[in-house]
Amino acid sequence: MSETAHQDHIEKKAFLVNSSSLKDVRSFCREVFEKLQIQEDLKDELVLAIAEAAQNIVKHAFKNSASPTELMVVQISCENNKLQIAFYDRGTPVDPKKVKHREIDNVKPGGLGTFFIQEIMDAVEFKDGKKPWINHLVLTKQL
Amino acid sequence: MSYKVTEEGNIATIHLDGEIDMDVTEKAKEVIFPHIDAGKEVHLNLSNVQYMDSSGISVLIESHQKGLEKGTKVIIKDVSKSVLKVIMMAKLEQILNLE
Repeated sequence: MSETAHQDHIEKKAFLVNSSSLKDVRSFCREVFEKLQIQEDLKDELVLAIAEAAQNIVKHAFKNSASPTELMVVQISCENNKLQIAFYDRGTPVDPKKVKHREIDNVKPGGLGTFFIQEIMDAVEFKDGKKPWINHLVLTKQL
Repeated sequence: MSYKVTEEGNIATIHLDGEIDMDVTEKAKEVIFPHIDAGKEVHLNLSNVQYMDSSGISVLIESHQKGLEKGTKVIIKDVSKSVLKVIMMAKLEQILNLE
């Protein structure tokens, strides 16, 4: 937990659902975390967790075949030093019970994104998506 | 992502540059795999890679495993601090050949 008091802040941005948006998602996060004055090491970890969650939307919720105009929204908010990152998308409904990472000792390509998210964040929660959204993922971290 | 390849004897040194994410993994594989398939020892220099996600880590694992299959080695060199942190988070520092 950081000793710095971070200013309350909320910001959101929409991105096209495709792999080339991932760098834009990272840039957005870095900009917001600069404003929140989050220290460098933690910022890198948070950017990784958020980019992995966005990647899961592209890869799994849309199976790499979203329509060219399909959007996902990333919202970053900080209140009372609690960081909350929300994702909204209209892909295939996610069954939280099926979201799991591979056994970490079973070394093979793939299955690490969810592991990274869980390692970095305090909580990962799938909520009911309110129209027009289908999936609503919320990641939280106490700063 | 950009890259530079130099070959000297049986060693192919590949310098990757930029951020390695899902968007560039196919390109990274196209650059790396042919050298492993050709039985070269591959030195993968990551000093200019400041960001790597799980897709990039998968490329490292796949390269390492392909190297073992082909009876050669993939050595990962000059890893930046930020990428090393991700490799360690994935508990791969004892698995991959890091120098």
